Amino acid sequence: MTVHNIRVGETKRGDAADGALVEAVGGRLSRVDGPAKITGAARYAVEQQLEGLAYAVLVESTIASGKVRAIDSKAAEAAPGVLEVLTPDTIISLRTAADWFGTPPPDKPYCPLARDITFSGQHVAAVVAETFEQAVAAAAMVKVSYGETPAIVDLSDGKAGDGIPIDAMTKEWGDAAAAFASAPVRICAAYNTPREYQAPMEPHGLIAHWEGDHLTVWEPSQWLDGMARTYAEWFGVPFENVRLVSPYVGGGFGSKALALGHGAIAASAAKMLGRPVRLVMTRAQTFTGYGGRAATRQTVTIGADHDGKIQSIVHRGVNETSIEGMWVEPLGSVTSIMYATPNFSSKQNVVRVNSVVPGAMRAPGENPSAFGIESAIDELAYEVGIDPLEIRLRNYAEQDPHAKKAWSTRQLREAFAAGAERFGWARRTPEPRSMRDGNHLIGWGVAAGTYPVRRAYGEAIVRILADGSVEVESSSIDMGQGTYTILAQTAAETVGVSGDDVVVKLGDSRFPRAGVSGGSRLAGVMTGAVYKAATSALDQLIGLAISDPRSPFHALQANTLVVAKGRITAPRGDGPDVSIAELLKSVGRVHIEATGDTMPANSSAEDRYKNYTTIAMALPHTEGDYSRHSWCAHFVEVRVDEDFGTVRVSRVVSALDSGRLYNPKLAESQWKGGIIMGIGQALLEEGIVDRRHGRIVNNNLADYLVPTNADIPDIETISVGIPDPHSSVLGGKGVGELAIVGIAPAIANAVFHATGKRIRDLPITLEKLI
Amino acid sequence: MTKMTKIPVHLDINGHHHDLQLEPRVTLLDALRDRLGLTGTKKGCDHGQCGACTVHVDGERVLACLTLAAQAEGRTITTIEGLAREGELHPVQAAFLKQDAFQCGYCTPGQIMSAVACIREGHAGSDDEIREYMAGNLCRCGAYPHIVAAVRQAALEVAS
Repeated sequence: MTVHNIRVGETKRGDAADGALVEAVGGRLSRVDGPAKITGAARYAVEQQLEGLAYAVLVESTIASGKVRAIDSKAAEAAPGVLEVLTPDTIISLRTAADWFGTPPPDKPYCPLARDITFSGQHVAAVVAETFEQAVAAAAMVKVSYGETPAIVDLSDGKAGDGIPIDAMTKEWGDAAAAFASAPVRICAAYNTPREYQAPMEPHGLIAHWEGDHLTVWEPSQWLDGMARTYAEWFGVPFENVRLVSPYVGGGFGSKALALGHGAIAASAAKMLGRPVRLVMTRAQTFTGYGGRAATRQTVTIGADHDGKIQSIVHRGVNETSIEGMWVEPLGSVTSIMYATPNFSSKQNVVRVNSVVPGAMRAPGENPSAFGIESAIDELAYEVGIDPLEIRLRNYAEQDPHAKKAWSTRQLREAFAAGAERFGWARRTPEPRSMRDGNHLIGWGVAAGTYPVRRAYGEAIVRILADGSVEVESSSIDMGQGTYTILAQTAAETVGVSGDDVVVKLGDSRFPRAGVSGGSRLAGVMTGAVYKAATSALDQLIGLAISDPRSPFHALQANTLVVAKGRITAPRGDGPDVSIAELLKSVGRVHIEATGDTMPANSSAEDRYKNYTTIAMALPHTEGDYSRHSWCAHFVEVRVDEDFGTVRVSRVVSALDSGRLYNPKLAESQWKGGIIMGIGQALLEEGIVDRRHGRIVNNNLADYLVPTNADIPDIETISVGIPDPHSSVLGGKGVGELAIVGIAPAIANAVFHATGKRIRDLPITLEKLI
Repeated sequence: MTKMTKIPVHLDINGHHHDLQLEPRVTLLDALRDRLGLTGTKKGCDHGQCGACTVHVDGERVLACLTLAAQAEGRTITTIEGLAREGELHPVQAAFLKQDAFQCGYCTPGQIMSAVACIREGHAGSDDEIREYMAGNLCRCGAYPHIVAAVRQAALEVAS
């Protein structure tokens, strides 16, 4: 049994805040999985110790376009310890699986090892050996010969073209072109973002183990049920035969939601050898084994009055996708809702290049979209001579300009006010290059961010056990968001026991199902499901206490009872005072169990399967009467060395509206993490393509620069959210993705204020400033 | 192809003695994780770029992925599993929990081992110094400000 099972034992260390009990919803309970993580006891997916484990290592294409002519694996096969060399010719045949929408796949075989090469780093072979060292050595002996054809290396390649229009991305109202043409103030600029990589500290990998036609996969996963479905479809076994186990996830940021080619390879090898097989990508392979954020190009034109009031926005976007796959990074997502405008037009194309298909990375769409519009409105502010904060308030959208619906909650005005106050924005002098400290030019910038509230349905089991403790089970996961902790808080508060008496079990697809942990939806979905299951368990407990003839409360004829701190009493305090354990013993029950789900009441088994294994049933954020989003305002100070052009972020104050926070201590950590990833995006991160070979050359953590501790200043976050009943059962909105949105433009705007140079091409590196 | 010879390697880890038969090319990191089941030490890059595999060898912080197991013979190795004494968390571990200095937890053992050494080296005198001397341990979740707070807190506790 590999399931994480750690008791809430750290309650007393937490700090009470906002009057909430530390261990209740809204309390600052420290992570319940923390003790395991700080002592090294937390065993991540690929760290399971299995008898007879064999080790697989991937061989990848060294060209970006062409065909594999031949694979010479003789030397590798003869190398010490080698058990198998998998090539397109030797690997077992799989079936094509449905995509994440559940779209029925084409009826053709799937081979995770490629003969036709469409990007550098594509899996072409794999070597399995008795030890990791033997597999690494033998993989280097596999000789692959290619017939190479010219590659489209990136968006700026002359062969790339204008791409494919994505009509579903078109958003238009009014007459944007005419209004722009007649506007007294007009700005137009192009904004670019490069390829960026999630780079979670735990590399992707798995252990696959077959027992008959049952497959167990230990794999870091943001979506156990979705990945289990994919494995089941690949191998043609029932969904129930596949068990995904993912007790801890060492970071995902969007990259660990789907079963990928390396998983198919490892599970095939395990089946072929009849042994458990471990395959972990090298760090270099994580840059091509799955997609990072697509490179993007946007043009934003704004027509406005002299007083800065926007009359028209025309937005055109392009993102790269792969030769065979389709990834759309929705670039008009923030552009279309952040500001009120009577006329609007946004369109988007995707361009095929020889790259791995790009994927989800923290706030896909909203993140680059905000870089465009939040830079452009800053440019407009300078054009009309209005404070960048004031121009945002002047164009404040009182309702969703696109959906034409009321916001469920939008504390953005409050965010601007709180952030500006704390940052000291009023002391800013408006002219570029007007603030200085010795050799450092000081710049202050502001930008807003937003992320939609993605909603879905969840399911959980809550058990009240004979000893009075409470157990929660769900196949959802914790990759650092704090799922273990907030679900413990939800169950503790709802049932009426102390946090110490709750055990949360996650990360096993045998538990009640859960949809994808992505799009900042998990906390809202799962606290709702646990609340419902816990309420049902509590109702059963009170029902037993009132009606069972053996109950000490039976004679009381009460309508209801109170459960608090694990003890049951009558509302007026008269009558017995017994523990949950005593009550269960008196009525002869071993436990009480309740399954709760938030699915519509008449949902079929098919609906449920579809809900948990695809994203087809996710609820639109504009469903019904409201438009639901999280909001934030970032205030940033940069210091730019005038001689060297180096930029350092020296201060960040962000005010954020994520609705009600289930645990402020953990939410603040996620916000700060988003801000820090945004600092990396603004100043450091860029996948650099070798134009001769179409290859990412900085495919390691020394050359693909993610922020280090020394790059990060003090960061202050302020919660301005209020409970939003339209967004989730307990009133929260999304946390994890919100804070990265708007950081890069806030920094670019601060750099402009410091230097007078407008950098529209991320990252903002020194050569762009000197 | 001749079979690679295994050599005897004797390792002293967290106060326990281990006799292993290893190929000379086995790193300390893989010996810990794959041979001894000590998986608290993490593999993030295998190239000495991320710091997740930081352990102490003779009291100094060392990257286990760039150290051959054979190189550690005769030295005293401490991993994250050996930091707590008799069930008592090390002050750095306790501070990491209190300050929420981690999220996914994967870089955390390396951060903690680095932090213990950083304090011992006398490099925790100011926030800027902590940032500089903890810069070799990457954290993609972005817990840096809380790591600084935890190291600051633990440094004061260790000093008092």
